[in-house]
Amino acid sequence: MDDVYVLGVGMTPFGKHAERTAAELGAAALLEALDDAGLTLGDIEAAWVGSVFQGMAMGQRALGEGGLSGIPITNVENACSSGSTAIWDGAMSIRAGVYDVVLALGVEHLTGQFRGAFTPDESDVEAQRGLTMPSVYAMRAQRHFAQYGTTPKQLAAIAAKNKRNAVANPLAQFKKAVTVEEVLASRMIADPLHLQECAPVSDGAAAVVLVSKKKRDALGGSRAIRLAASVLKSGRSEVGLPDMTVEDLTGRAAEEAYASAGIGPDEVRFAEVHDCFSIAEALRVEGLGLFPHGEYPGRVVKGEADLDGRLPVNGSGGLLGKGHPLGATGVAQVVEVVRQLRGEAGARQIHGAKVGLAHCRGGKAQGVEGTACTVNILTV
Amino acid sequence: MTTVQEPTDAPARAYEIEAGLVRLRAGKCPQCGALFCPTRLVCGGCGHRGLDELLLAPRGTVYTFTQVHQSTPEFAAPYFLAYVDFPEQVRVMLPALGDEAPRIGEAVEVVMAPGPRIVEGELEMSPHAQTVAASATTRRSSNG
Repeated sequence: MDDVYVLGVGMTPFGKHAERTAAELGAAALLEALDDAGLTLGDIEAAWVGSVFQGMAMGQRALGEGGLSGIPITNVENACSSGSTAIWDGAMSIRAGVYDVVLALGVEHLTGQFRGAFTPDESDVEAQRGLTMPSVYAMRAQRHFAQYGTTPKQLAAIAAKNKRNAVANPLAQFKKAVTVEEVLASRMIADPLHLQECAPVSDGAAAVVLVSKKKRDALGGSRAIRLAASVLKSGRSEVGLPDMTVEDLTGRAAEEAYASAGIGPDEVRFAEVHDCFSIAEALRVEGLGLFPHGEYPGRVVKGEADLDGRLPVNGSGGLLGKGHPLGATGVAQVVEVVRQLRGEAGARQIHGAKVGLAHCRGGKAQGVEGTACTVNILTV
Repeated sequence: MTTVQEPTDAPARAYEIEAGLVRLRAGKCPQCGALFCPTRLVCGGCGHRGLDELLLAPRGTVYTFTQVHQSTPEFAAPYFLAYVDFPEQVRVMLPALGDEAPRIGEAVEVVMAPGPRIVEGELEMSPHAQTVAASATTRRSSNG
């Protein structure tokens, strides 16, 4: 098995792109990642492209716009983990020794298509009864409140932290910090989650160029960051009465990632996690074993997850601050971890970090705990 | 080896009404005993093909809840949702009735009521969770 490295990264600003198509956004991310890697279109041997609501052959449309065609292109739909699943696919092909240089791209243009809450697929019986994505997480938040004494104010502090971090990220959708009070004063979406605690509807794209160790050594790529683990899991069938504050899916993905990287959760210096809602960030980091179960919201209030805290979480602004163009999200998380580990994160730089983790988990499918979850661990 | 039965075009109704009690239709694995509501072709616990039909008890306990404040084209907010744990050890999400949010641990009964889903301009009749005390009041008043 060959080691995998991230050699180049690219990402468009996240937000509303009324004047640009999904294909143009994807092409821009591709070209930036290529330039960053010091490679050309002809070096890319295969590509995987994640998107959720972009219709047929998003990959061929975006890469074609960027001048890349003829190679194997695979379109990947895995709910919010589509982009990070594309990374997993690409990494697998290098580990298997099939390719030395591949591209993983995530792209989504949502503002022209959606407003309001996402709902599961219409065949989902819970969706037919009125379940929306915010209400899934609202009900998990109510359990967190009941079991651990978590409060609405503590959850609001998670949103306030991520919006504050986003101010230091020039690619983020939100440019303005909000206070805990402003979060709590925003419109209620699904009790206890307010508007400011829900990820926005966004457009954007992100890309990474993955290379084998052989290729990295041949290029003398000193800026390459090692992808020490890339794990994909899906949710298991729900049987019985599971504790909805526990993420079995995240836990299983993390366990395999830690074992694969030979790195324990205590060695992770910072994390980008899938904060589609404020409560989601708590469920993720607790499931990843980065904070004790049930304690994360209280520790956010104490500043432990701030950029200068014990373990910064979503220093990029996360989905809540940076934006959430579904297919692009999982790739953008890895782009952020790479920039942090290279020391290229500007005003939000976490100094001296050697190990970063990216976690993505999304979607809902009838009868299973979650749709898809990826954990990527990157090291200098 | 048993074969998997093809799904029909008209799926079985999600519930039965017996002696005025609304009972949700579920599937129970004859091999490992796992329950699924709605039922499915193959047991998600052990892989056994073919589940036995089972009607759930008409009452359960609220595991968690929310009030949805955001309408969608298909659903008229605000409305309550609850995950209800049934004594057969299966959890089902239902809309909940009442002026106040259901409470965790509260006993609820399954009743038929309109909404929150809008079908052809009307709120669709569907199974809801209603607190047992409140439904007793309703029954008295409807009887009176």
